[in-house]
Amino acid sequence: MMLRIFSSLVIGIVLMCPSARAEDLPVDAGQGHWAFQPPAHRPVPALPESSGPAMPGGLGNPVDAFIDSHRRKRGLSAGPAASRAVWLRRVYLDLTGLPPSLEAIRDFERDDDPTGRQKVVERLLGSPQYGERWARHFMDIWRYCDWWGLGEQLRYSQKHIWHWRDWMVESLNSDKGYDRMVVEQLAGDEVAPGDIDTLRATGFLARDYYLFNRASWLDNVVEHTGKAFLGLTMNCARCHDHKYDPITQVDYFAWRAIFEPYHARLDELPGETDLEKDGLPRVFDLHLDRPTYVQIKGDPLNPDKTRPVEPAIPGALGFASLSIRNVDLPSRAQHPSMQPWVIANHREAAERAIVAARKRLEEAEQSLASAIGTSAVDRARFGKVAAATALAAAEQRATMIAAAFEADVARVVPAGTAPDLSQLCERAARAQSGFELAQAEAGLVQARLDKLLADSTKEADASKKLEKAAVAWEEARKKAASPGTNYTSLRGSFKALEGPDETEASRTAPYPGISTGRRRAFADWLVDRRNPLTARVLVNHVWARHFGQPLVAGMTDFGLRAPVPEHQDLLDWLALDFMKQGWSLKQLHRRMLLSETYALSSAPTGTRDSENKYYERMNTQRLDAQTIRDSMLHLAGTLDLTIGGPTIDPTREDTAMRRSLYFKQSPEDLHKFLETFDNADPKECYRRAESILPQQALALANSKLAGDAAVRLADRLVRRGAAGDGFLATAFETILAVKPAIEEMQTCREGYARLLEASRQSDSSGPEERARAAFVHALFNHNDFISVR
Amino acid sequence: MGFGLNQQSLNRRAFLHKTGLGFGGLALGTLLARENRAAEGGWLPPTGLPHYAARARSVIWIFLRGGLSHMESFDPKPALNQYQGKTFAETPFDGINDPEKRRRVRVVVVNDANGQQRNKIYPLQVGFQPGGRSGIEISDWFPHIRGCADDISVIRSMWTTDDNHGAQVQFHTGRHMLDVQEPSIGAWVNYGLGTLNENLPQFINIGPRFFDKRDGRYLGPAYDAVPLKIDPKEPLAYARPEGDLSAREQAAQFDLIGKLNRFRATEHAGDQALEARIKSYELAYRMQMAVPNVVDFAPESEETKRLYGLDVDATKPFGMQLLAARRFVERGVRFIQIQHGEGAAGEWDAHSGLKANHTKLSRQVDLPTAGLIRDLKMRGLLDETVVVFATEFGRTPGSQGTDGRDHHPYGFSIWMAGGGVRGGTVHGATDELGFHAVEDDHYVTDVHATLLHLLGLDSHRLELPDRKRLDSDHGRVIRGILA
Repeated sequence: MMLRIFSSLVIGIVLMCPSARAEDLPVDAGQGHWAFQPPAHRPVPALPESSGPAMPGGLGNPVDAFIDSHRRKRGLSAGPAASRAVWLRRVYLDLTGLPPSLEAIRDFERDDDPTGRQKVVERLLGSPQYGERWARHFMDIWRYCDWWGLGEQLRYSQKHIWHWRDWMVESLNSDKGYDRMVVEQLAGDEVAPGDIDTLRATGFLARDYYLFNRASWLDNVVEHTGKAFLGLTMNCARCHDHKYDPITQVDYFAWRAIFEPYHARLDELPGETDLEKDGLPRVFDLHLDRPTYVQIKGDPLNPDKTRPVEPAIPGALGFASLSIRNVDLPSRAQHPSMQPWVIANHREAAERAIVAARKRLEEAEQSLASAIGTSAVDRARFGKVAAATALAAAEQRATMIAAAFEADVARVVPAGTAPDLSQLCERAARAQSGFELAQAEAGLVQARLDKLLADSTKEADASKKLEKAAVAWEEARKKAASPGTNYTSLRGSFKALEGPDETEASRTAPYPGISTGRRRAFADWLVDRRNPLTARVLVNHVWARHFGQPLVAGMTDFGLRAPVPEHQDLLDWLALDFMKQGWSLKQLHRRMLLSETYALSSAPTGTRDSENKYYERMNTQRLDAQTIRDSMLHLAGTLDLTIGGPTIDPTREDTAMRRSLYFKQSPEDLHKFLETFDNADPKECYRRAESILPQQALALANSKLAGDAAVRLADRLVRRGAAGDGFLATAFETILAVKPAIEEMQTCREGYARLLEASRQSDSSGPEERARAAFVHALFNHNDFISVR
Repeated sequence: MGFGLNQQSLNRRAFLHKTGLGFGGLALGTLLARENRAAEGGWLPPTGLPHYAARARSVIWIFLRGGLSHMESFDPKPALNQYQGKTFAETPFDGINDPEKRRRVRVVVVNDANGQQRNKIYPLQVGFQPGGRSGIEISDWFPHIRGCADDISVIRSMWTTDDNHGAQVQFHTGRHMLDVQEPSIGAWVNYGLGTLNENLPQFINIGPRFFDKRDGRYLGPAYDAVPLKIDPKEPLAYARPEGDLSAREQAAQFDLIGKLNRFRATEHAGDQALEARIKSYELAYRMQMAVPNVVDFAPESEETKRLYGLDVDATKPFGMQLLAARRFVERGVRFIQIQHGEGAAGEWDAHSGLKANHTKLSRQVDLPTAGLIRDLKMRGLLDETVVVFATEFGRTPGSQGTDGRDHHPYGFSIWMAGGGVRGGTVHGATDELGFHAVEDDHYVTDVHATLLHLLGLDSHRLELPDRKRLDSDHGRVIRGILA
């Protein structure tokens, strides 16, 4: 069985290994490889006069200058520009994932301000929807995945990992530097151990948690830190030295050693004591001294204990080595129960319980006052006693929490300054046993009452429960007589289980007072300006999403196999500029989106550059799954633009109108509509597929989602006064962002007439309404609605 | 290298044909293209008509993922029992180190834990017997298929070059995974042959698809396999309107969608995605009724259901897939590809516990597969359907660990049956230990060539002008198994 699993792992790796002939490749250690050299400063080529308007300030856009110089070298030229409306829809979808309204299109078409495009880009970059749109892209690249397990048992990722998603949205909206984002994700607990906003970022690593297999968990970390940040297929070096790249098997395990100490935990957040309901999933260093060994042939069961490995990065990328220093953690990071909100949370929860118990007591008193007849009065009196004992127990809980907190504090303060710890522990234990006794008493009274009220069918059951309650009470009474010194601390945090056999008890042990600093050193190394890969890899991801094809074809493989890219000059210029601009993503978007290249039409140019390597035109892209759904709902006016918060169960996909990125997504929780359109595989998705299947046609034609959206949009257009031909034309332009051509308008008229005739037979009362909705629905199925032209 | 304007206009013309532009309704472009065939010289897209007389019209492609042991299925080797525990050098057969043959394999992962040759001979884990009048020897794990021995033609001399499970892709495309990838055989058939039923996809995949999920490759997404689940509860997602749209309204809607999309196709001539989308809509409209009907087994007799093992838990899932395959064939689907064996590598990958593994898995496929052959035969469909029963490679004659066998690309078995195939045939052979294919050996594309031949297609005439293929991509027809 083990072998079988192992074999699958190997296969997974084989598949991701690059496809080229080893013998064709240089055998040196990658010294001369373009991507391992720092990006070179290159002068921006001069633009000829004919190549479109210059940027404000008189400088041509460098994107255009580089692209155009390549085109001219090959005797190619840029095709025509897209219409203003097509450009507008393109940039709306690219930056917010939502199409422009008809009003926005018309305003922009009328606008003759030469800075019109710039204004649009600024407005969209400033809208909160920008962060959501790009968070979804980064959720692909950083492998966002909600938890899954069996029932409530957590097996994979972490509960409430959506806090990490919210961190992405907020970070993008505030244009936090990409360098800082990398550092916070890998080492937020080391650079800002007391800041819960930053700690959310470590969801990047908490997401890799896997209950059953630490080896495969860390394999994932090594593989995907390599792919996401550096475009390196580290994973190919687990079982053997990398076939193509200068990465040895020792390098692989040295990389793993960076992560060897880390583990996941769930900390309390302000306002919630129940970690099942909410909490902060985050990482921390737990195993400070655990050694890392090379595994023989990558077999986790066969470590070579003669070869412990120190954390390091591959020598071939050795512009600098890791500078690792321990990080002293503040006391509150080590003892989460000392976070000020933890005691407040528990006090408030106890307070709420007292208020509720008091209310029930008042109700019981009222019942007693209004009860008529002996038996009813007896019952009501009993009810009042039960409510009163329950209130007593609730009040004891508050006492217990206060005592536990005091003892907790005493345990944490430096030795010598502590008050009498044993006395405080004793008091806490007494308070706890007192509460438990009061609770047992309340249980016993309630059980008596239930038995009294039970009808003949439930009497046996009630008797059994009463017996049990009596036994529990007896035990609590004994405990209260000699409470000892053991009490339950306010935990404030739960360590994630280190395997299916770990007991709950060991999950609340104190956390280490230091962190190894390995991850912080690694993150600093990643975003060192001398790192040749980090900025290039990011620029390539952003470019691919705006232009429909990457500058470096293998987005996760910048290794020796990656040929010198056609547009290396542009890639390098953008990478250097990106770092110079403080790793600002918004600035990078501006560079790309305000170019004339981005504004080209996607219509065929009749060129010999059939793969459009030189960007004579724009590439048409199919909208991704989320954008298709969100666009339909947005046009229908039903999209709920609330930002952030807990995930939504995909079983509510027909009724939940939030943006698609908020649905729970794991291998176990799939959103049917989104899956049909090549949704990201949460295990690995650096670039979405764009399949074309009849099932997609059925999803758009038959889903309640599309049908309802069509009804709403048709209704909206009518309420805005669209009628007759005007309705058809307005619907067309609203959905496709272009006006229908004369022939298209004729087709629409005939199509609508046929729909109307069919609708008359279905429903004689409102055939026009039906036909209008069916017409809008047809347009949602238009190729150009689900494409960016 | 560019084809300039000529190529551009040619593509555009081909494109207009394919999308049926200028013709009303939902007519498929391929039908129109037939009439215009041979109208001009030079390259034209396929017409949908066979190049020469076909022996068959459909293919059911059964693929066991992970690697079936050839010695313990269709190529029994009693010598393994005789020499068990010995090294190869201790046997009289020294041909296994033939350097010419050993060179065939292109290793993907050097010194991998798997994909190694094992030097200690492992005895057969199951008995075998001759079957039928032809007396083809088949192991006791496949008693029902053995009962069909006179209908099948076993090829015992297959070889491939990938020593790992990338060989699954290779078996479908003919290329090692470290090479540029080619379309799969199903995509070629889909591309080359016209449809016989406009209501159903012409190329269907059932079960976990091999690693590389794209079948159409450069032929475009329109020729890719359409994945279907055989789940009577939900045979097809979104199979009917969730709102209250009437059939007439929906017909009018699809008609309008088609016309509007085709109008756009003139502006964006050569847009493969748009072409594929137009086709997918035409197909989707008709599929929504047709697919659930195919997967509704109510019209089948109890006897037929038993034939496929639908009454037994172990055989039911695979039996349902094969019964659906027969029903698709009856309705004119060209290529149904059924993948057996879950997991990344494929469940047949018995590196350890081979006996338990193959006992369990063979039970799932043996009876339904024999049932399929019998059923096709009774209905007169076996004459026009080719059934292929294949796997990516065999397993090593030597043992891996104490009770497993490793990957073995040097020699392994598959079988074919049906239209144009001579039943009761054994073709080719491995050496005494089942190591190398030594007689009439065949690379995987020979299977593709044979299929295309039986379907009446000439692979050279399917080739795209700017995508010349290698001889090894075209393969050679396996003449020895033809009727």
